[in-house]
Amino acid sequence: MKMMSWGDALWLGLTARFARVGRLRRAVLMLAAAACTAAAVLYWKQQTDDSANRPLHSMYSGIEPQWSWLCQHDRCERYQASDTTTLQSLQTCNMLCASTQLWPQPTGPVSLASAAVPVRSDRFSLKVIASPSRDVTKHINEAFIVMQNHMRTLEHGVVGENRRSDIGPPRDVLVKVSVNGSGDPRMRLDTNESYKLALRPSGNSLVVDITAHSFCGARHGLETLLQVTWLDPYAGSLLILEAATVVDAPRFPYRGLLLDTARNFFPVSELLRTIDAMAANKLNTFHWHVSDSQSFPWKLDSAPQLAQHGAYGPGAVYTSDDVRTIVKYARIRGIRVLMEIDTPAHVGRAFGWGPEAGLGHLAHCIEAEPWSSYCGEPPCGQLNPRNPHIYDLLEHVYREIIQLTEVDDIFHLGGDEVSEQCWAKHFNDTDPMDLWMEFTRQAMHVLERANGGKAPELTLLWSSRLTRSPYLERLDPKRFGVQVWGASQWPESRAVLDAGFRSVISHVDAWYLDCGFGSWRDSSDGHCGPYRSWQQVYEHRPWATETPESAAWPVEGGAACQWTEQLGPGGLDARVWPRTAALAERLWADRAEGATADVYLRLDTQRARLVARGVRAAPLWPRWCSHNPHACL
Amino acid sequence: MALHRLLALMTTMHLAGVLCNVESTFDEITPQIYEPSWMYKCVPDEGCQRSEHPRPTLSDNSTSAFFDSLDVCRIVCGRFGGIWPKPVTAALSSQTVKIHPNYLRYDLLNVPAETRELLVEMTQVISNNLLAECGGHVTEVVDTQVVVIIVVKTAITSLNWNTDEQYMLDVQTRGGEVSVHIEAETIYGARHGLETFSQLISSDKRDFSDVEHCGLVLVSGAKIRDRPIYKHRGLVLDTSRHFIPMVDIKRTIDGMATTKMNVFHWHATDSHSFPLEASRVPQFTRYGAYSGSEMYTTEEIRELIHYAKVRGIRVVIEIDAPAHSGNGWQWGREYGLGDLAVCVNAYPWRHLCIEPPCGQLNPANPNMYRVLRNLYQDVADLLNSPPLLHMGGDEVYFGCWNSSQEIISYMKDQGYDTTEEGFMKLWGEFHNKALQIWDEEISAKGLDPQPVMLWSSQLTQAQRISQHLDKERYIIEVWEPLNSPLLTQLLRLGYRTVSVPKDIWYLDHGFWGRTVYSNWRRMYAHTLPRDEGVLGGEVAMWTEYCDAQALDTRVWPRAAAVAERLWSDPTSTVYSAEPRLQRLRTRLIARGLRPDAMSPAWCSQHDSKCL
Repeated sequence: MKMMSWGDALWLGLTARFARVGRLRRAVLMLAAAACTAAAVLYWKQQTDDSANRPLHSMYSGIEPQWSWLCQHDRCERYQASDTTTLQSLQTCNMLCASTQLWPQPTGPVSLASAAVPVRSDRFSLKVIASPSRDVTKHINEAFIVMQNHMRTLEHGVVGENRRSDIGPPRDVLVKVSVNGSGDPRMRLDTNESYKLALRPSGNSLVVDITAHSFCGARHGLETLLQVTWLDPYAGSLLILEAATVVDAPRFPYRGLLLDTARNFFPVSELLRTIDAMAANKLNTFHWHVSDSQSFPWKLDSAPQLAQHGAYGPGAVYTSDDVRTIVKYARIRGIRVLMEIDTPAHVGRAFGWGPEAGLGHLAHCIEAEPWSSYCGEPPCGQLNPRNPHIYDLLEHVYREIIQLTEVDDIFHLGGDEVSEQCWAKHFNDTDPMDLWMEFTRQAMHVLERANGGKAPELTLLWSSRLTRSPYLERLDPKRFGVQVWGASQWPESRAVLDAGFRSVISHVDAWYLDCGFGSWRDSSDGHCGPYRSWQQVYEHRPWATETPESAAWPVEGGAACQWTEQLGPGGLDARVWPRTAALAERLWADRAEGATADVYLRLDTQRARLVARGVRAAPLWPRWCSHNPHACL
Repeated sequence: MALHRLLALMTTMHLAGVLCNVESTFDEITPQIYEPSWMYKCVPDEGCQRSEHPRPTLSDNSTSAFFDSLDVCRIVCGRFGGIWPKPVTAALSSQTVKIHPNYLRYDLLNVPAETRELLVEMTQVISNNLLAECGGHVTEVVDTQVVVIIVVKTAITSLNWNTDEQYMLDVQTRGGEVSVHIEAETIYGARHGLETFSQLISSDKRDFSDVEHCGLVLVSGAKIRDRPIYKHRGLVLDTSRHFIPMVDIKRTIDGMATTKMNVFHWHATDSHSFPLEASRVPQFTRYGAYSGSEMYTTEEIRELIHYAKVRGIRVVIEIDAPAHSGNGWQWGREYGLGDLAVCVNAYPWRHLCIEPPCGQLNPANPNMYRVLRNLYQDVADLLNSPPLLHMGGDEVYFGCWNSSQEIISYMKDQGYDTTEEGFMKLWGEFHNKALQIWDEEISAKGLDPQPVMLWSSQLTQAQRISQHLDKERYIIEVWEPLNSPLLTQLLRLGYRTVSVPKDIWYLDHGFWGRTVYSNWRRMYAHTLPRDEGVLGGEVAMWTEYCDAQALDTRVWPRAAAVAERLWSDPTSTVYSAEPRLQRLRTRLIARGLRPDAMSPAWCSQHDSKCL
């Protein structure tokens, strides 16, 4: 009663790729004196006395391990625990067998030891060797605590008092961090995110050297350090690779996730968890689509009316303090918060208070019916471009965004899906496209004022009719960038890049996470579909098309978009993860290969890391396939 | 008119490109500080509508036409208020009365003594659900007495397809006292009545409230007559592809009880894992569970079955066989019993099964039947009487059996060709032997033979089924897609069926391969034939791509759409059901589930505005 073709499910287009899995750069480090102890430490012998008269009942009493995994021919094979002389957990086998288990895969040389030693979260200590500023030092300290807390969370996963003494005492780990470069801890367009990590034994302890050119790079190093640390459930202890070197840098500078908090409201805790999961995948941009025509949950200090008239209710509001909390939380995790207040379309009741305040109509077509005449989805609403107060208001909005997020080199103006009919109804003297162009020019103008008289280096607009010929030519590629959401095969999606606009890719046919859930209203022609599987997300590489132009495309990176017409807090994690992790590796490493066997194995481990962090990520495949990592491929 | 003229004037000025003539600029405005707090009005034919403006200040003297709470608006707005599934007939008052659980009393004097203990548990569930409406704490105390008088006519406590589930529910408020009458043939009918009663109650919290204050209100008058259209309203949960912890199964049962579903079809085992502890055959979990903590002990299973019963739900355990069996059966040789199953975990899998890991029981080995008998004994011990077993029986892959010399020679001995028809005979033989074992085991408990359930398959094709499967004994669960004639054919042949069309009611579709996701609208819109032979339907949660992390978001609220289809089979539109389903969603959230959103919250605050 299940599937007609399992192959359809997992391995569309993957057949026989297994043989092509890239050789892993795992080198067993030569550790003369330590080698013997390591081997003894790692593979403890199971007591074999009673293996002859195997008990029937004791094995499944919930205490004794049932299975043991052994690395054979570069893969972990599952055995009945009682049939093997060594007892090893799946987690440990995976970490020590062929795959690096790192996610996203580092882009530089990697060598990892095939031995592990026990550690404890409270035996890690930090020494900042070099730091360009006090601010960076402070951030390193906080990021270190974040890492330690994640280790502590893993340790809480130890059930009962089954810590085994035969793995030896936990080692001390000294983490030495050097940052030589920017004294600004923020994630900026010009931030060098590269890092080097070297982990080696030193006497009875371990020393980790992380060197980077920015705080963000150093933080990525800590994230990688966390990934070579895992909980062994059989040992009841954290283990860490005994030695490792990783040289790493991202392929694209902009690696984002968009979350829409307007169609449905998401409490701050949901946002924080999402940001933490992003950090685990070295994503760096939380694109916060705060408002839309349905609601305006952000209560600005300078214009509280917007939330007062626009929020779903008093408990569906983000205060300035909330925003600060989110920004700080993201900052320590190497993530910028890019707040988008979409205009001039995608606005609603939040802008309906103009007349009563004596400011005239700030917006038109608010909740106008029939909605299909004035907007793409209910309810309608579009700013009144001829009311000068709207620009005053936007200046306040932009100023507060920049103040709260401290992101001033990149800005998102929105600019999505303007209804020409709505404006045409109110302004029949002017081509709505001219109004739109003029609005964008004015918005840019107040943005400069809000940003201390200086335009951000990159101001993003959604791709739209405005970013198509003949209007595209009227935009300045030095000032504007485009977030391209159209399908990858649409001519206009390529035209933007060919014309030299710096772009963030969010192609609907690959990176829209909301697709495939059917229509949420009777009249709809069906929402985008089908569902984009993690494999599709992973394998999308539009810049790798074989055209001469594409080599010169100014692609800043990409973002997965989670619109929330059909998503509330309950289902957020399973919708976003692990698919956004797949995007993270595409943008970080951009391996030429698709979703090969090694990708399955590493992503499965990464999914388990996310679950351990409290993220309800959906599984990749049946649990049996995790237990038998190569048997399902 | 004057206003229009003013607007026209302003537009003219816009046209002239002149600045709008208004008295103030944005910076000069001192905004009134208040929280967005909306009110809701019940508009005939449109449902609950949010007020055009938020209220500047909170006050208690709202006009009777407006509700502070969207949930309260929903329980009185529309003919069926906030009741899900829709009852057969309902007349509801548009007034409400404040109540508090402390002053709620159940009168069970008119129920048979044998049923009282179970009914007390049922009332406790309802009382807990009422507290849950307020997050566990009803802060607003009123001393209105609410007496729920329950009349149950029979002492029946068994749950099967003959159980009478109808009920009558009357609510009357007189002189500051509320009397609630529930009358039913069985306690299960009474439980449904209690469930409906709980759905006449709502917290008075505002939508997206930020305050702790919470009171409960009850529709002050109601007259409801209700009974289900279909006897079998089920949900399949697969706990083999992924282990689903008991707490998550129980939460799913809570959702089923809320929507008056009555069959938890537990697809307990498959080739992937065997998490079900069998006390006579501990090897099943020892060789088949993912780990010592990823299994269901006998004690836990018993508790679950009781938990479900208190919620009006029968547990059907499926031991899928002869295919979809593997892990858990691979120890035969070690114990001198020969191969109990063949091709277990065989690699490469593509030649031996439909999805990895492979595995199929070995029908040539008499020891396999001995072990199966032990397993069936354990299952019969666990299930409530009369026990309902699902034998599985789908997707037998002949390539697997054909790869075993032992099976080939057994077939020769039996005079079966190694053709498709020969394998069909072997397959049919398996089911009939298994059924005989099941019959013997439940007859040993003093019970009459019971029908068993079986998935549709090649064996149940219309031209073949009668040769192999007795229509009195096998109930066929048909999972063929909508365009298949099988369901109709089986009905014509006189088989009883349960319908689960995979392209509509499979909850895992849309996440893998070329399958298409059915949202609740699509699931709701599908209807089953009204035929004696259609016992009902199920919605199926296969868990290759789902585990406890994603469970709720995949199952709810879509399963509820199927629940209403099976309970009342309404002829009304999907659109008219949406406000009630929105209310159900907030109810499920209050009860601890995590259902998906069906639309932007704006649409739930503006019924009928998002068509």
